[in-house]
Amino acid sequence: MSATRIKGPTIALLGQPNSGKSTLFNGLTGARQRVGNWPGKTVEKKEGHYDKNGVRYRVTDLPGTYSLSANSEEEIITRDYIASGKADVVCILVDASQLSRSLFMLADYAGIQCPAVLLLNLMDVAKEQGKEIDVEKLEEKLGVPVVPFVAADLSQYNAYYAAIEKVLNEKKMLNIDALTEKYSLIENGFYDKIFALMPEEGIDNYSPSWLATKLIENDSDVLTKIKGVLSDDKFQELDKLLSTVEKGALETAGCKFQWIDDLLRDTLIQKDKRPILSKFDRIATHRKWGKPLAILIILLGLIASFIPATPIMYLGSLIPMLGEPITNVMNAINAPPMLINLITQVVLNTLYFAISIIGFVFGVNLVFGYLEEVGYMARISYVFDGTMAKLGLQGKSIMPMIVSFGCTIGGAAGTRVIDSWGQKVLTIALAWVVPCAAMWAIIPVISTMFFGAWAPLIIVAIFIVAGFHMIITAKIFGPKLLREEDRAGLIMELPPYHKPKWSALFRSIWVRTRDILSRALRVIFVVSLVFWLLTYSTSGSPEETLLYRFGRAIEPVTMVFGLTWQTFLAYIAAMVSKEAALGVLGSLYLGAESLFSATVGSEGVVATGLSDVLLTSLSPSAALAFIFAVTFSPPCLMAITSTYQETRSLKWTLRILGYYVATSLLIAFLVFHISNLFF
Amino acid sequence: MITLNEVNAGQKAIIADIKGDSRFLSRITSIGLTLGCEIKMLHNEKRFPLLLYSRDTVVALNRDESNDVLVEDII
Repeated sequence: MSATRIKGPTIALLGQPNSGKSTLFNGLTGARQRVGNWPGKTVEKKEGHYDKNGVRYRVTDLPGTYSLSANSEEEIITRDYIASGKADVVCILVDASQLSRSLFMLADYAGIQCPAVLLLNLMDVAKEQGKEIDVEKLEEKLGVPVVPFVAADLSQYNAYYAAIEKVLNEKKMLNIDALTEKYSLIENGFYDKIFALMPEEGIDNYSPSWLATKLIENDSDVLTKIKGVLSDDKFQELDKLLSTVEKGALETAGCKFQWIDDLLRDTLIQKDKRPILSKFDRIATHRKWGKPLAILIILLGLIASFIPATPIMYLGSLIPMLGEPITNVMNAINAPPMLINLITQVVLNTLYFAISIIGFVFGVNLVFGYLEEVGYMARISYVFDGTMAKLGLQGKSIMPMIVSFGCTIGGAAGTRVIDSWGQKVLTIALAWVVPCAAMWAIIPVISTMFFGAWAPLIIVAIFIVAGFHMIITAKIFGPKLLREEDRAGLIMELPPYHKPKWSALFRSIWVRTRDILSRALRVIFVVSLVFWLLTYSTSGSPEETLLYRFGRAIEPVTMVFGLTWQTFLAYIAAMVSKEAALGVLGSLYLGAESLFSATVGSEGVVATGLSDVLLTSLSPSAALAFIFAVTFSPPCLMAITSTYQETRSLKWTLRILGYYVATSLLIAFLVFHISNLFF
Repeated sequence: MITLNEVNAGQKAIIADIKGDSRFLSRITSIGLTLGCEIKMLHNEKRFPLLLYSRDTVVALNRDESNDVLVEDII
């Protein structure tokens, strides 16, 4: 690293989803990146930098969109960023294996006055399909550098670096003459008439030609911009002209694709054609076999994600064992007992929890990131579209739901593959309903304890309630989360299968995991600290804790929901960790261990003698109320943290959390009072 | 002219007209479906989106919206 680094140019990455933008971004910047939000938006903003020959290049990864129209926040953010002049060069990524369709982004970009480079990504897939591309001829026609490469292969980046240097020196813009000639042929000469009314200088980096095209496409955002710069009579003339344009978007898109066809006519050579759907794809998209195959693959994926996760989680579980040696050392130096307790309980458990999250998130991201990367996720989206659309979600949302049967942390992390923010948040909100593995460890135990052979009925009832819960939750949150473009029906490409690019996949997961670790540590530490303070007692007995006093004090209120002070505290603890429900009951009824360690260290084991005490002190309706309250309460502290991580919104995380506290109490209330009529 | 929904799997057709607001028009054209473009129907199963092939791309398309796409020259 040289100390004489000069602040250099900014590069913006533009491309359709699946064009490999993120792969290039991670490849270029490695760990030198920041993920935030675009100001005032819920759209993720990724910025990073790399150093080359003493110059620092800043890279902005623009949101992946299919075009530059004004259909979504992402598209407006993208084009306005480029038009603002913040980028010195725009890298347009296209998928060389689907060049004809993929070049639409270039055609839609044409007319924005910013130097550009065209990157033909996935050249390896294109070659496999028997495609050859005459890069020099394409370069000549477009007037900007064209780089064929594979974004996942760092050894091919030199051509990219060279092209960036070239375009920064020569400031070459895309040659759009052939395209505007096509526009001129649009019926009634609309293009030329509208073009004549455009401000000569354009607006920002938008050229008069680009603006005219967007107006033909009935782009209201551009119309507002134009209104601001045109004189009143000129604007009226324009308005009159535009009112006679019908289906302009069809006309201009036609021109764009004609231009693309002309470009590719003698530059793209297609040799031996392969069948469109491979054998595997015929099963993967089959009306009968597609869904079972998807569920099978997700379940296998869930199991597979435990392979990398287990060793990491095991390492994490060793951390609390440091408690004893630390206590001994601190006792030896006469540290205050409260401090010892704080370190051995809160600090060690924070590390333990955070590492457990990391283990699972890493595993899930690796396995399902892989399925996304090779292209299979889009098939799942296709076969489950009809089912999930009823909840306002896309087909891919089925994956986090199924993963949540294993673990809600993984479910939340799995929403990574959902490209719409609103649908991502809604998927997480619904995945919280799905009972996780920990729940399956405790609910049957308590149910059998109270209801013996009738326990399976309770499980059935839980499933029925869960079904209604999802439908109602989707109805409540849907309108606030889903934007118009999310509600629109499915229009999606099924990308060709790609070979796995492990190094690129690991790079993206590594960046992500680091980000999660720091956030998880902070959240878990703060919450654990608060919970520790509430459960701290000098003697270790629960009766001296604040939580105990709080529980006793509000018992008259919790009894409305059928919860005694003991079951209410166990319910609270279950929001930290589901297994805690049993541990805390043991601690409260039998005084077996401190409340804090019963909450964070419990493994879902029934303390000896607990069932006798519970049977004598809880009525069947109170037991039912408790079972339902715990089942539908927020999943656990780690799942909440993971939700915060994926939604990137504290407001929505708290909103979902509050909603689950309220609904679980409401369900307990209903269960308690209805069952009181029978017992 | 018939709607895209009525094209059977295995058949080819040419897109003759697309109805709908400009949002829909720009969404559907950006994925490569424009007037005069040839499509090949891959799957057309009830309760599933249509699956078709056009411009080097396999495209999944919602059934409701496929009603707004009219085709001709079916082979």
